[in-house]
Amino acid sequence: MIKESYSIFDENELVKASIDGDNGAFGEIVIRYQKMVARTVKGMLGDSVFAEDIGQEVFIKLYYALPEFRGEARLSTYIQKIAVNLTLNEIKRRKRFLSMFSQKGNDEIYEIEVADQDTEERKEALEIVNKALLSMDPKFRIIVTMRMLQGYSTKETAEILGLPLGTVLSRLSRAQEQLRVILEKL
Amino acid sequence: MNHSEIKKLIISSLNADADANDAAERLEKEGVSFNFRNGFRDKILEKISSSVLTMTREIEYVKYLNLAFSRIALTGVAAIIVLLISIFLMQGSLSFDSFLGLSDSYDESIVCLLTGN
Repeated sequence: MIKESYSIFDENELVKASIDGDNGAFGEIVIRYQKMVARTVKGMLGDSVFAEDIGQEVFIKLYYALPEFRGEARLSTYIQKIAVNLTLNEIKRRKRFLSMFSQKGNDEIYEIEVADQDTEERKEALEIVNKALLSMDPKFRIIVTMRMLQGYSTKETAEILGLPLGTVLSRLSRAQEQLRVILEKL
Repeated sequence: MNHSEIKKLIISSLNADADANDAAERLEKEGVSFNFRNGFRDKILEKISSSVLTMTREIEYVKYLNLAFSRIALTGVAAIIVLLISIFLMQGSLSFDSFLGLSDSYDESIVCLLTGN
């Protein structure tokens, strides 16, 4: 009953209601954008418990940042920027941690959990993508995630990542080369 | 879709002129989809509610602390003023006449001031 009433709200109404303390409205924002955040966070960190925690952190940060949201950009872009920042921070944090305690240096550790309900073929497709992404350099991985998993144009990718369009295009080309080499080995 | 087709799709999705949205949708159909576990929304709302409750408690605590502090401070200032006045009065350096400006006035001079003679 409550879910139905919030589903007819548009983005601005949900934001306004959330700022006024309506948690149901914020819950609707979570439902609408959780898949988008999952693609970014899990694409970058792997399908793990850590990624779930970062996903929660994204929305908690959004909740407290909503009063500052002026509606100049789309809410999805705003959420995406938070997700990208938190995910990149997590990767940096892990690298620091590993460089302190591991002799391997900057190698990242990821744990991948593939959902049980998928068929074997679908599981394999997801595994290929996960392995390929996690083998990439994070600065290329984020571009690939935005492009391949989120389906953003190069212009949208540049806006979200706060990079010049030329940089995005050159990284995209290099990412494609790197990915080609990685996929050949898989 | 077999492995090589998936790999081709991944590579082609990165072409600068490719329709990335279409490629993303096709990959999702093939099982490349990500989502959080069940109860994700409830966990977030639970965390927000508990943090809001903690913040409200902290704000109330600070508010009461400020109120108590101002009351104690005002009482203290009042006590100091009363103490100073009583000391001055007891020492004789301050009198009620000096408050009223009567210390230097004599009855005759008041009569002169009032009558003008």
